[in-house]
Amino acid sequence: MPATEYQGSFLGRISIRRNQVIAMDGNHEQELEDLELFQRHVSDRFADLLSPPDDVPADALLSISWLRRLLDVFLCCEAEFKAILLMGRDPSQISKPPLDRLIPELLDRAVKSLDLCNAVTSGLESVRHCQKLAEIAVSALDQNPIGDGQARRAKKALVSLISVMNHDDNEGANTKSTERSWSFGRRGGNKDRTPEHLRSLSWQVAKNWSAAKQIQSMTNNLVAPRGAEATGLASPVYIMSVIMVFVMWALAAAIPCQERTGLATHFPVPKQLNWAHSMIGLQEKIGDEWKKKEKKGMAGLLEETQKMEKLGQSLIEFTDSFQFPGETEKVKEAAAQVAELAETCRRMEEGLVPLQMQIREVFHRIVRSRTEFLDVLEQGGKSSAPLV
Amino acid sequence: MDGFQSAIPAYEGDLHVVAAAHHIVKALGTTKNLSDDLRKILIDLDAHLSTITSNIDNKGVRGFFDVEERLKQAEKKIVSWESDQKMIWDSGPREASEYLEAVDEIQTLIDGLRGLSVNENRKQKELLHRAASVLQMAMSRLEEELIHMLVQHRQHFEPKHMSFRSTRRDVIYDESFVSVEDEPAEETSSRNCSSCSNDSDEFIVDLVHTQVIPDIKSIAKVMFTSDYGNEFCEAFIGVRKEALDQYFAILEMRKLSIEDVLKMEWTSMSREMNKWTWSMKIIFRVYLASENRLCDQVLGNVGSIHSFCFLEISKETILSLLNFGEAIALGPHQPEKLLRLLDMYETLTDLLLDIDTLFSEESCSFVRIEFHELLGRLGDSAIAAFKAFGLAISSSGSSHPFPGGGVHPLNKYVMNYIRMFPEYCSTLNLLLKDQHADFPNPVLELDYGQNMSLSTSCPMACHLRSITSSLESNLHKKSKLYKDEALRHIFLTNNIHYLVQKVKGSELRLFFGDEWIRKHNAKFQQHAMNYERATWSSVVSLLKDDNPGSSSMSKSTFKERCKGFSIAFEEVYKSQTSWCIPDPQLREDLRISTSLKVVHAYRTFLGRNTTHIDDKCVKHTVEDVEKLLLDLFEGSPRSSRNSRRW
Repeated sequence: MPATEYQGSFLGRISIRRNQVIAMDGNHEQELEDLELFQRHVSDRFADLLSPPDDVPADALLSISWLRRLLDVFLCCEAEFKAILLMGRDPSQISKPPLDRLIPELLDRAVKSLDLCNAVTSGLESVRHCQKLAEIAVSALDQNPIGDGQARRAKKALVSLISVMNHDDNEGANTKSTERSWSFGRRGGNKDRTPEHLRSLSWQVAKNWSAAKQIQSMTNNLVAPRGAEATGLASPVYIMSVIMVFVMWALAAAIPCQERTGLATHFPVPKQLNWAHSMIGLQEKIGDEWKKKEKKGMAGLLEETQKMEKLGQSLIEFTDSFQFPGETEKVKEAAAQVAELAETCRRMEEGLVPLQMQIREVFHRIVRSRTEFLDVLEQGGKSSAPLV
Repeated sequence: MDGFQSAIPAYEGDLHVVAAAHHIVKALGTTKNLSDDLRKILIDLDAHLSTITSNIDNKGVRGFFDVEERLKQAEKKIVSWESDQKMIWDSGPREASEYLEAVDEIQTLIDGLRGLSVNENRKQKELLHRAASVLQMAMSRLEEELIHMLVQHRQHFEPKHMSFRSTRRDVIYDESFVSVEDEPAEETSSRNCSSCSNDSDEFIVDLVHTQVIPDIKSIAKVMFTSDYGNEFCEAFIGVRKEALDQYFAILEMRKLSIEDVLKMEWTSMSREMNKWTWSMKIIFRVYLASENRLCDQVLGNVGSIHSFCFLEISKETILSLLNFGEAIALGPHQPEKLLRLLDMYETLTDLLLDIDTLFSEESCSFVRIEFHELLGRLGDSAIAAFKAFGLAISSSGSSHPFPGGGVHPLNKYVMNYIRMFPEYCSTLNLLLKDQHADFPNPVLELDYGQNMSLSTSCPMACHLRSITSSLESNLHKKSKLYKDEALRHIFLTNNIHYLVQKVKGSELRLFFGDEWIRKHNAKFQQHAMNYERATWSSVVSLLKDDNPGSSSMSKSTFKERCKGFSIAFEEVYKSQTSWCIPDPQLREDLRISTSLKVVHAYRTFLGRNTTHIDDKCVKHTVEDVEKLLLDLFEGSPRSSRNSRRW
């Protein structure tokens, strides 16, 4: 992970410099330089995310590995941000205006993003469920010749897969799902019964919680610093907030999540800010993608899920009309799709659990940082307002 | 079955020999320089061999004929159930076992047909295809039967009947610290101190009726052998997960966002924290332990599938419990949270071993790690709340003197709160080990430097004394608000007496030690004496004989003294009936000692001057004074005129 490597050296540099800064009793120029470096790093990292190397197709926008890179970027930026704000700094510096207002706002966003992390982790469970169903379909169809029985088996799994994917965002929040009866009273002669049992998606978060609203509320008070503040510490706080909102937004767009209506609404990032160019680019791309798909109701923009949906639908058609031994042309075409589906499953198998773990890591990082900031704010509060 | 095994290999063996011979003949035929005779013989041989092959082939078809018959039988059985409305396993054990036999038969036929190395036979392929179709039908059916069985035979168990509930610490000190200044705290009954239950007992229950376990196992076996293991797992996980979800709801566990938890009011939060503590125990020790056994019973012999299913079933519930813990650990650590945090900490400590055992597989390591980390954070939170508690005590201020000089609510709150600490002794000692107890009063520490028993020297004991000593200094601060010096002493007498009583009357005495109790007894007694001096010295001095040598004072002096005494006494009466000594014993003691001093002086005074006594100047008889003194410290203001004893 190259990002982590240069993060290490960056932190080292900052700490060395900070010590000098303290020795020189606050060198504003050094600080400006640090800020500039931070902005450049943010800009570079998002530029990498915007234009993934062409030779690695698995790294496509919103693929599992892309999301993992995005989270890496988040963790790196977060570490640098903390270094700039906290390392070797007198607590009283960040407990005075405007930081005394901006940092609590940032921490508020941090808490909100914890719930998002949980919602997304829960959503990944349903993606994993899809993967399991797709694997059944692959194992049924990955033989030569395909029999009617295996075709029916695959179809059953794929129909479940598609209905799990089209599971409405809101349905999971509905408590009814736990009361759903597993009734098999009417056992008709229908050979390809649609699955009456869909593993219920019970959301991790509270009943009326909404990912879209959560992100919306994270953007409250999110205004770019102006005037003198723009060159001070208010600026990295703003940048970090924007990164946080963006990352959470991208996760919510990619992975099934409770209530995402209106997710496409952009949060405004001023175009004139250099560091934000690539991020705005990504935001537009993902936003457009979302608008295209939103009406259909869907599992999320995760590249692998989308591929699975497309292949699943097409293979359902294939199995629907399939009659042993099947038309050679169609069988050949299906075999290619099965291979592609198998490859997608493999990528999910490799990537989903690590992605979940990484989201958990982000969760814990946010928790830790919040605690550190609260401690500093408390210390700062004490020293600036001596006890009477 | 035996017929199949004998017919096919014989046919296969023949075919091999003939094919080999045929091959040799063909090879020989290509040789140049052969005599015509020989060539003719080879051609004949070739033709002959071809006939044999086709004969054998026909015999093979006849062999397939048996297979086909058997397939038809099994197929009939399976297809017949397709149109039946009833569930197979509900129809009786015979139906179920016949069905399973039919599936077995198909599986055997498929294995046999697949085992043939000759793949070119049309009949073989056709049968294989047909068998696979029937198998799919059967598997689909078995999946339904499985789900039906799991749902129908689910066992419900009432969490309330679980035996460890009764031994739960059930008196909850739920009051928020903030409310201390506003209203006098009620005395709470003591926490159920019965010895902690032996939590290590196993409470495994049957989540699915035992009678159907063999049936579920047989379905598992046949689905796994037919390579439908994934379908089995999906169905099994689906139903069991939903059951756990429902159980979670039965426990009245709500899914809460972290934001909600942080915003929660103390009373709801306390309730949720209690629920968590309780649910953690029941979910891990009872429900998940039972679920694990169920998975093991059903899938135990199928590789690591059992732990995969177990994790899939329990994951979301576990994450929910985990996240509530995380949310609590995040929140500001107000003092009132301390006991609930300790409950959570202790519960998790107790459960870690269970968690480690249930999730011992490598794939489950994150569960173990997360809970171990959560324990650390809950411990940190408890320490933070403990510190906040100490800070809240020392900084709790009031601007008005507490009316009547009674026991201050802060004192009540703190003492009732810390009375619970001994129950958490080992946990608190562990957590406070590295926390420096700051004694606002270093003298105290010196006093305890020697002769300390183990319980009085443990970290918790030091912190307890630190807490009471900041409580004492706060009470001293509060006593300064009284303008009346006597009332100030009543206040301190009351409050220090209360402190000592609370310590003496509970396990706290073991941690404070006799020395502390002696010292504090002396303290409140000193304040009581100071009270007497402040109130009564001047009053009694009126009754003193200035001139002890002479037999009696002049009548006018006597009259003047009498009047002065009456006025002073009535003044005291008026104000001190509204003062309050809530403890009856303490009140009694103080009255007696006051009585001794005042009544005795009055009686002597009157006795010496019997000659001067007349009704006009002696307003109160000795008996009156004695009676009136009984009205003091009742907390209900009176004047001597409307006294009930007057």
